Amino acid sequence: MRTVTLQDYKRRLLRVLAHIQQHLDDELGLKELAGLACFSPYHFHRIFKGMVGESVKEHIRRLRLERAASRLKLSTAPVTDIAFDAGYESHEAFTRSFRAVFGAAPTQFRSSTKSRITTTVRSGLHYRAGKPMSDFKATQPGGKSMKVKIEYKEPIRVAFMRHVGPYDEVGATWDKLLPRLGKEGLLGGDALILGICHDDPEVTPPEKIRYDACVTVDERFVPEGEIGVQVIPGGEYAVTTHFGPYQKLGDTYTRLLGQWLPRSGRELRSTPCFEVYLNDPQSTEPEDLLTDIYAPLQTKTRT
Amino acid sequence: MKPQPKLDLYKLHKAEYGATRKPALVEVTPASYLAISGQGAPGGDLFTAGIGALYDAAFTIKMTRKFAGQQDYAVCKLEGLWWSESAANFAKLPKDQWLWKLLIRTPDFIKDDDLRQAVAVLLKRGKGEDVKRVRLESLAEGRCVQMLHVGPYEKECETVAVMKAFAEKQQLGFAGKHHEVYLSDPRRVPPERLKTIVRQPVRPS
Repeated sequence: MRTVTLQDYKRRLLRVLAHIQQHLDDELGLKELAGLACFSPYHFHRIFKGMVGESVKEHIRRLRLERAASRLKLSTAPVTDIAFDAGYESHEAFTRSFRAVFGAAPTQFRSSTKSRITTTVRSGLHYRAGKPMSDFKATQPGGKSMKVKIEYKEPIRVAFMRHVGPYDEVGATWDKLLPRLGKEGLLGGDALILGICHDDPEVTPPEKIRYDACVTVDERFVPEGEIGVQVIPGGEYAVTTHFGPYQKLGDTYTRLLGQWLPRSGRELRSTPCFEVYLNDPQSTEPEDLLTDIYAPLQTKTRT
Repeated sequence: MKPQPKLDLYKLHKAEYGATRKPALVEVTPASYLAISGQGAPGGDLFTAGIGALYDAAFTIKMTRKFAGQQDYAVCKLEGLWWSESAANFAKLPKDQWLWKLLIRTPDFIKDDDLRQAVAVLLKRGKGEDVKRVRLESLAEGRCVQMLHVGPYEKECETVAVMKAFAEKQQLGFAGKHHEVYLSDPRRVPPERLKTIVRQPVRPS
């Protein structure tokens, strides 16, 4: 099997980027976009954000604003129509967003002699009014290089409790799960504390985010009440350590899946990533927290 | 119901855990610990099993209370006492002669009954016999010289030398066991960045 390259990743993303350009006014589903690029919906949004430098949502919003800028210059359509076409329900909201990006209110922009109708972005991706797209600049891994190990893991059996709701409220689920397992002697020495995030907080509405709070258990543990048992599939994983507060885990995911992965020659399996919490947030300062992120990889050679 | 504020003993006794890279005199109040003793090199089988048993006991006790709605508290970091039978220079002794006692500071409201109950649960879980060696002890170290050591454990003797000179200047001599508080996680933090509080009880020489 040929090794996948950065070019392959870019080619696949270009299919998505072209589709977005052609359907700027449509509701674009994450599954649909992921399917176009043959990425698993579990990982697509992070690969996109990591390579393009903005989330799908941000990208669409920016292109709509660029289109609005070009219409302001090239057409005589009323500003309210242009605002509506850009996806804004009110003139004020449109003006605010427009000013933030172009530095002038829409009416001023229209009458000024300045002709720049695109924003400045690293990716070089702009609104193209039907013209074909051939390339973009994938975000370069910046700053300190990321340490990533490839590890083979046996299947991991875990007791878990599912949280559905905002990501920053998962603590309540841990507060229920840990005492119940802990009083049975299931925490301490060698039990791993891990989390599986099924949805990305950037694309899923907060009330629908699914997160499993998990503790490793052996065969003797039986599911009980709200506590279920699942087995995290074995296989190869790309593993990196996130240093610091849990609120910033998203940045490390984006770097791993959007910057390291496309240059690694590997592809992801269609199962969620998981994270292992290495220290106790009750007795550790947020900046000293350590979390290992595991991204599931496809086997390199197929028989 | 408003949740009770979580108890963090290190924050409550800030003066005892606020060591810097300069030696200082501190008054350490009597404190209660979960403890397990042994002999041999750090990282050896007995040592590793001891850490596991200590954390097993610490979390089982804490979570049993939390489940029952009693006051929650943070499980403190690992600490250790190191000494030897012979009077020879500790650092030069073969490591298999090192004696140690691993500690986790624990609130005073944790009693022997809590420990007994946790040990019974853990034995029923098949967690191994090491947990039977966990004890609840109190230490009254009193006046100590204390200093933050940053770097690999092997270089601690340099920090100890600074502490000794500092004590001598004030007509104080080391008395009691060398005490370490492990602020960093040696599994991930590179040796040169490991932070350890070194504490040494002293008395007038």
